[in-house]
Amino acid sequence: MKQIVVACGSGVATSQTVASKVNRLLKENNVPAEVLAVDIKSVDRYIPSSVAYIAITKVDKEYPIPVINGIAFLTGVGQDAEFKKLVDAVNA
Amino acid sequence: MSVLGDVINWILSLGAAIFVPIVIIIAGLIVGMKLKDAVSAGITLGVAFTGMSMLISFMSGAIGPASEAMLKNAGINLPIVDGGWTTLSAIAWSWPYAFAMFPLMIGLNIVMLIINKTKTFNADLWNVWGKIFTGVAVTAVCKPFFGTGIAVAIAFIVAGIQIIFELKMADMYQYRIEKLSGIPGVTCTHKMGFTSIFMFPIDCLLKKIPALNKRFDAAVLKEKIGIFAESHVLGFILGILFGVLAKYDIPAILTLGIQASASLTLFPVISKYFMMALEPISTAISAFMNKKFDDRTLVVGLDWPFMGGANEIWLAVFWAIPVTLLYSMFLPGNEILPFAGIVNNAIAVAAFLVTGGNIIRMLILVTLFAPAYLWVGTIMAPFISDLARSTGAVSLKAGELISCSSIDGPIQTYAFSHVFKIMEGEFIPLVLCVIFVVCFIALYKYLGKEEAEGKEIN
Repeated sequence: MKQIVVACGSGVATSQTVASKVNRLLKENNVPAEVLAVDIKSVDRYIPSSVAYIAITKVDKEYPIPVINGIAFLTGVGQDAEFKKLVDAVNA
Repeated sequence: MSVLGDVINWILSLGAAIFVPIVIIIAGLIVGMKLKDAVSAGITLGVAFTGMSMLISFMSGAIGPASEAMLKNAGINLPIVDGGWTTLSAIAWSWPYAFAMFPLMIGLNIVMLIINKTKTFNADLWNVWGKIFTGVAVTAVCKPFFGTGIAVAIAFIVAGIQIIFELKMADMYQYRIEKLSGIPGVTCTHKMGFTSIFMFPIDCLLKKIPALNKRFDAAVLKEKIGIFAESHVLGFILGILFGVLAKYDIPAILTLGIQASASLTLFPVISKYFMMALEPISTAISAFMNKKFDDRTLVVGLDWPFMGGANEIWLAVFWAIPVTLLYSMFLPGNEILPFAGIVNNAIAVAAFLVTGGNIIRMLILVTLFAPAYLWVGTIMAPFISDLARSTGAVSLKAGELISCSSIDGPIQTYAFSHVFKIMEGEFIPLVLCVIFVVCFIALYKYLGKEEAEGKEIN
């Protein structure tokens, strides 16, 4: 199981909504990965063990792993494209 | 009819950890979930309630005695336990009428879209609980005057008014939010933004002082002090502080530090189960709404975290922590000991929205408005505790009071729910309602002008 990380203010509400939704999509598509929702203040601790970071905010920092647009999963706009990017990151 | 009533009362008497899962299984089947998924969601919700109850017992077992010792040794009397917003949401979801808020919110949104009075589709279905909480407060205030039936009816009317204001607020801030966050097509429908309405006149005054219009780089500071706001570190610091004030010996101080750290670290872990259980329902509703308004470009209303890339918000959050602690010790009328609610994102986001991200004015506004969160947390404690006790959402000892030191949009929530106290001659909530409406209209016009001129925000 590869780990994907998503962060929001408390690691509870918005991030867990995205995590639950993406986890369901991953399961439906048989992608061997799991999304973990964390507190944005602690996100840097989880980056080394993850294969992708689903960001809900605009990111201006460089990360060593692919950054996926999390807003797409909240609004549904561009969701398929972002999910494909995520699957590619898992399979890379 | 009376048989049905008996059955419902019997189910309610089983407690929140049983009846809320039953409701969500039914709701899940209505929105087309498979039976096994619906049952899984229901049991997850039962787990969330049970876990929450365990954690709150653990937390109040650690903090409660320290609070008593603080009273004895330092003369600080803060009997209300602060469970934070996660506790508050658990209690709100246990309100027997909670799930009826979904159709109200969606129905009003659809009507507002059809008559073209909003461009926002509120996809933040988790924060239905903010409307539920207002409803709980209204019911508690109105019950002595009108009886339960009418009180609940009024609760839904007031919640409906709040839903409409949320959509209008989301409309008016959308341009500014897009400029600030760099994310198009979204806005914030969370009622935490209502505090910015009350901040607006004060911010207008502050803007007249040229020294307060300077900008500085908040990123560096945030990197340096960010670690202190991580749940486990912050919890440990607070536990140590309470232990010292309670004049514990060193082993007891360290133990309280770790217990407090464990509480703050575990709150989000358990709260996640609420989200997991409710996500399929909110996704189904979102999909339905998206299909219904396929032909129109709507902005999507979300919870605040998509703005969390702004370092100014975090600096204001960190600033609010010591400010709130100091107020709690010296503010007349405060009875809540800030703990699980100490990370007050709500006040920071409101200040961020109204100032457009000017950090100096944000810190001044946070300092001026922090007392409102403590006062409202204190005022609301009795009926929050009553509801928790009657539904068994969290286990409380006799006489124990629980609340939250960072209730979202406290002034608006207080004003909307306590306006009926006018029956007892209490007019302050009514005055606050009037101020809210007047300032809302003024800010709406101001932001409309800003958008029309296409102004850059700072």
